[in-house]
Amino acid sequence: MGLAIEAVNLVKRYRTKKRLGLFKSVTEVVEALKGVSFSVRYGEVVGLLGPNGAGKTTTIKILATLLIPDGGEARVAGYDVVEEADKVRKNIGLMLTVEKGFYGKLTGRENLEYFAALYGMDRDVARERIDYLIKLLELDKLGADTKLYEEFSLGMKARLSLARALLTDAPILLLDEPTLGLDPPSARKIRELVKDLAHRDGKAVLYTTHNMFEAELVCDRIIMINKGRIVAEGTPAELKERIPKLKVLNIAVRGNQGNLKDILNSIDSKFEVDSGEADVHNIKVYLKKPEEVLDELLKKFIGRGFEVVSIKIEEPTLEDVFIYFSGGST
Amino acid sequence: MSMLDLVRVEFKLVYGDLFRRKSAFITFILYPYIFTSFTLFIGYAVGSPRGFVERVGVDPVVYMITASYMLMSIFSSIDDLLWRPLLDLHIGTLPYIIASPVNRLKYYTAIPIPRLVAVLLLGFTSILPVYILYYGLEGVAVVFVVISILIVGCLTMVFFSIALAMSIHRVGESWRMLNIVRPVLMILMGVYYPRMFMPLASYILSSFIPSSHAVEAVQRFLMGMSSDIYILIVLAIAISFIYMPIGKISIREWEKSRVRRGVETF
Repeated sequence: MGLAIEAVNLVKRYRTKKRLGLFKSVTEVVEALKGVSFSVRYGEVVGLLGPNGAGKTTTIKILATLLIPDGGEARVAGYDVVEEADKVRKNIGLMLTVEKGFYGKLTGRENLEYFAALYGMDRDVARERIDYLIKLLELDKLGADTKLYEEFSLGMKARLSLARALLTDAPILLLDEPTLGLDPPSARKIRELVKDLAHRDGKAVLYTTHNMFEAELVCDRIIMINKGRIVAEGTPAELKERIPKLKVLNIAVRGNQGNLKDILNSIDSKFEVDSGEADVHNIKVYLKKPEEVLDELLKKFIGRGFEVVSIKIEEPTLEDVFIYFSGGST
Repeated sequence: MSMLDLVRVEFKLVYGDLFRRKSAFITFILYPYIFTSFTLFIGYAVGSPRGFVERVGVDPVVYMITASYMLMSIFSSIDDLLWRPLLDLHIGTLPYIIASPVNRLKYYTAIPIPRLVAVLLLGFTSILPVYILYYGLEGVAVVFVVISILIVGCLTMVFFSIALAMSIHRVGESWRMLNIVRPVLMILMGVYYPRMFMPLASYILSSFIPSSHAVEAVQRFLMGMSSDIYILIVLAIAISFIYMPIGKISIREWEKSRVRRGVETF
């Protein structure tokens, strides 16, 4: 099986007219994508991560045949997004803005039936699929069968939107900020489902978000995009490895402070000690690979009569990674 | 992809809107009467009913309720096509429609059909009571003839409306253009001003609007000049089919222009 999505050197410029007076105007060109190249395989969730205006939605629009690029090429399911748009459309499930995109005076089910007809689904097949999706996304429990779309909460709207993306069981899913503004249970539900769809059902998922925490939870691979350029790409662990920031080993021990300095001085690393009440000392040690010294350090503490209260390793976050690769600017 | 399925879901959409919005439903029934009252008020203020009967050959009340009903029927069905792209843009359904593999001509042809059925049924609440009052039971037969001609009148407007809507929506702020084009269409269609009495230039211009021939057919029928009705109906159908390829091209070009700019997903 080939690549699900392949973008090569995508360029997109938006032209906007700026009014200078009643009859005068100048055309301003904003370069939204400056040569973006990446690929997505079947069975993986790839996160397109970046701040607002980075070029995420522009990329999704191009791949969804909703926008023609000014340069480069993109193939979805092996079809060119410009030349073979009809074939691309049969292979994608699309989820754009969460809070809009349905008819207000129809119920959730009726809306799905509407789009099933648009996607050319057989009536019986569509009914069966809609039943399945309503159950899968727990929309039945929320009353999507009887409630009009205009009465839906944001969480319900997001679930319905995902249900539409899954209607045709397309092998490729393009999800643009699917959890934006959602409450934690709804966001979690969607994240779990997206992971299942890729890992269990073998779908290729391109998932845009500006939420670093979420990207780390959902995505197998992350593409960081800023100001129309890809600034970094890899698994979350690989990306963190690439930055020079040290990990922080947090250890809380109880015991006599006098022995503490001896132990810590034996490690060739920067450390901080914050002694609290009841002889509890919170120690922070900055290391590249804290896992390698942890065992030896614990033995030393216990050997000198300390009681280890807690241990935690703080890794650099994707936020740190993003700031590092984007040169501190977004 | 079945056209029937598209019509079925459109029915749900239109009827959902009509029956779940009480104000829409009430105004839907009242509109022909409001239009009639307005035109009669103006007519009685500036002229006499006898003068109208002498010139047109039909009682002004019968003529105006029929005119209002025709206007409602034709415009309700074509308005769905004229405004739909804007509605879809603002409620956010447009990107999903463009990104769907649906046959565009089938889809846009299916859109006006449900409202067309609704407005034709409206004949029984608008023209039927008035006709019975004026013609007795014979009025029921007259209603069926008028509705039958109007079915042709509305259907022949579908391809014309697609072509018109998609050409207008290629322009920015198309709603302004629509607000200019609609009244011009209303005048040229000749529903209130008997079409055969139009100045020649307007008559020729209105010939390009397929339903104007159906409107004239209804007017001639009410005036008792039934001999030319068939020719007018055939003419309406023939002109309508000229707009089919134009409509198809217009949809394609409109969609191209949208995609070139980028379909809004706000």
